[in-house]
Amino acid sequence: MTATSNVGQQLRPGLWETINERYPGSMITKRDSVPLAVPQMSLATSRLAFVSSAGVQPKGTLPFDVVHPVGDYSFRRVPSDARTEDLEIHQIKYPTSGANRDLNVIFPIERLQELVTDGVIGALTKDFFSFIGYNMDPERLEQTLAEEIAQAVVDQRADIVLLAPA
Amino acid sequence: MALDITEHSKPPRAVFVPFMMGHHFGVPFHHELQRRIILESLDLIMTAEDSGTIRHAPITWAQARREGNEIERGLGLRR
Repeated sequence: MTATSNVGQQLRPGLWETINERYPGSMITKRDSVPLAVPQMSLATSRLAFVSSAGVQPKGTLPFDVVHPVGDYSFRRVPSDARTEDLEIHQIKYPTSGANRDLNVIFPIERLQELVTDGVIGALTKDFFSFIGYNMDPERLEQTLAEEIAQAVVDQRADIVLLAPA
Repeated sequence: MALDITEHSKPPRAVFVPFMMGHHFGVPFHHELQRRIILESLDLIMTAEDSGTIRHAPITWAQARREGNEIERGLGLRR
């Protein structure tokens, strides 16, 4: 870790402790960082996958269960060539005021499509992947949802993956 | 994501943006900022040398909002 907590830069400081005190064991904590995987090719020749906890999904697909007390451990595939008007958000745990006007503030699918058109990124995986961040059992999340998304990313032959929280 | 949560979850690399929840790529219609945050992240993917690197995006939420408001005025979406 190269940076230490700077509460002056975090809009809502002390979140991890606050949530973990209220819901003991619900917050992920790791002793060691995940080993660094060094990209083997340039960005311009890489296929990128995008994974988001924003609860974004194609209209008409099964909505996430946003009121389940322990969360929803499923994920949705979002075609990477989708238009924003064909997508919607099923998530109530973060402010969607910006995303409701421009989905790219949380799920920047149009910007990623443009970066491919501009030749900055080689390609996008066929699908992007989205789930909801409200999951109260980190071990279950790691053993099920995370593994399933990781396998889907591998199946789509991603070279690099951009993960974004909501 | 909050910086303290990022530090606890210890991803191999991360870019911290000091923005409001639900707005990690910026503000509506600010395409340049949205793109810049993606590029900052992609650059870190390609160049990070140590696992656990957290890079701070060089922009504040207030600055992002100011720029977003200006863009919206230009688009006729805000007075």
